[in-house]
Amino acid sequence: MVVITTKKPEEEVFEALNNYKVKNVLVVSCGVCAALCQTGGTEGAEEWSEKLKERGFNVINTIVSDDVCDNRVMKKDLRKIDDDVKEADAILTLSCGLGVQSIIEVLTKTHPEIPVFTANNTEFIGMTERIGRFYMRCQGCGNCLLNETGGICPITTCAKALMNGPCGGMVDGKCEVGDYEKDCGWILIYNRLKELGRLDLFSKLRDPLDWSKIGHQREVVWR
Amino acid sequence: MTEVKAYSKLGEALAKGEFILTGELEPEKTTDLSHTIHEAKEMAPYVIAANVTDSPLGIVTINSMAATHLIQKATGLECVWQMTVRDVNKLGIAGMIMGAHALGIRNVLSLTGDHTALGDMPESKPVFDLDSATLVKLVREMVDKGTINGNEIEAPPTLHVGAAANPNADPMGAEILKIGRKAEAGCEFIQTQVVYDLDRTIEFLSEIKKYKVPVLLGIFPMKSYGMAKGFDTFVPGVSVPKDILAKWKSVKKEVTDKKQQKELYDQYNYEFFKPFITELRKKDLLAGIHCMAVHYPRIFPKLKDIIEN
Ligand code: SF4
Ligand code: SF4
Repeated sequence: MVVITTKKPEEEVFEALNNYKVKNVLVVSCGVCAALCQTGGTEGAEEWSEKLKERGFNVINTIVSDDVCDNRVMKKDLRKIDDDVKEADAILTLSCGLGVQSIIEVLTKTHPEIPVFTANNTEFIGMTERIGRFYMRCQGCGNCLLNETGGICPITTCAKALMNGPCGGMVDGKCEVGDYEKDCGWILIYNRLKELGRLDLFSKLRDPLDWSKIGHQREVVWR
Repeated sequence: MTEVKAYSKLGEALAKGEFILTGELEPEKTTDLSHTIHEAKEMAPYVIAANVTDSPLGIVTINSMAATHLIQKATGLECVWQMTVRDVNKLGIAGMIMGAHALGIRNVLSLTGDHTALGDMPESKPVFDLDSATLVKLVREMVDKGTINGNEIEAPPTLHVGAAANPNADPMGAEILKIGRKAEAGCEFIQTQVVYDLDRTIEFLSEIKKYKVPVLLGIFPMKSYGMAKGFDTFVPGVSVPKDILAKWKSVKKEVTDKKQQKELYDQYNYEFFKPFITELRKKDLLAGIHCMAVHYPRIFPKLKDIIEN
């Protein structure tokens, strides 16, 4: 599993930094997902450090961390460079949205005054075909239906996340959204269940998703 | 035999097994419904009811529930309120169903609706909390049990609920099973997407006959060559047969007199649809016809003639 990120337009990032009147920047780059997406890692860190310098920022340090999204890792890594953290007006993370919030979480007691920015847009939880080809196949709905749909996710592959597709927008197995270029998710499900000899599952009338379980600030806490 | 309840003229005619004709009205982006009302009045003597569309293609128009109510009030023509699940969540829809009843609406057609991304407010949040089958289920719970999620409705609504089907769908197998779900949900009638291919329509209707839901076949008589061509080009998944296009084109090219042109188009529509419909009726596959051609009310006397003779 990878959290797929893409680069924000540079100007948008500089604008955010300038808006906070930032001078001294600490760069924290993710060595895992963002590295794979080429929005972080060592290369991203070097690239951003150059760009920042060109724009007159003072880059205090750049670090590449495994799992910026893991509070434990960040705590450890940031503690090692506490002097740099103290000197920073802001931290720029080259990670997903989780990374930003993980750093905030970790620094909230010791350095609540330091703003944390992101250089990336977080797209989705992705499946990797190869570098540069990532696909959304699961949206983490919390009540996985894959056992009933032949292993293909209707919530993700159907543009309307329908529970009882295909809709009238399907033409020759393609979806009305995006000019009939993408496969209709419900036809993928139909074909798959047909292969499995389980069209009985396709015939089943499914209830709508239960948003009382989906729509909140979700957490998994078992210890 | 269980008593069949009828809440509307449409419901009654379907229960009696009468062969019926319904039309379609497409209110626009306006607060003034006078054009639509005018069209409804022209259509009224020939149809048992007319559908009122709900922002087709995701292009925003006046709200379909309000339009349905106003058209019914102004013309006395019974309407089929089209409700898509695109713009309102389950809670909102349940409220609208009660509201629709209170406004005198007695038929609703449950539709998914074209995606917001296709329309003129693509930035809108697409809702799709329900889908076309679960909306049918919701209506039936409210009407038959008088409850929503098991909670009692003080004065429950009484509406008939229908759904759509697409005989042109490929793969057809998926569409057929989907209609099975709608039938299971309690769908009381089906109005199909427009068809031109007789063999395919026969195959499709024969397949869905087992669900025992009365089917109104969607047809689109073409008012002009431009209309036929536009329909062929712009409606995905439906193509107008080449020979029809050629025939319509010849009218446009060879006949200069406007009045004569109109008469010929009407005549050709009659000639095409009469054997088409008659064949399907002979095979006992239809409960009626749903004419989706909007702004073409003068065709209705001809259609009425087809279904009566
Ligand atoms: S149903 Fe789809 S979105 Fe939900 S958990 Fe399964 S794969 Fe993910
Ligand atoms: S065409 Fe298929 S994928 Fe697209 S919205 Fe309809 S059911 Fe979903």
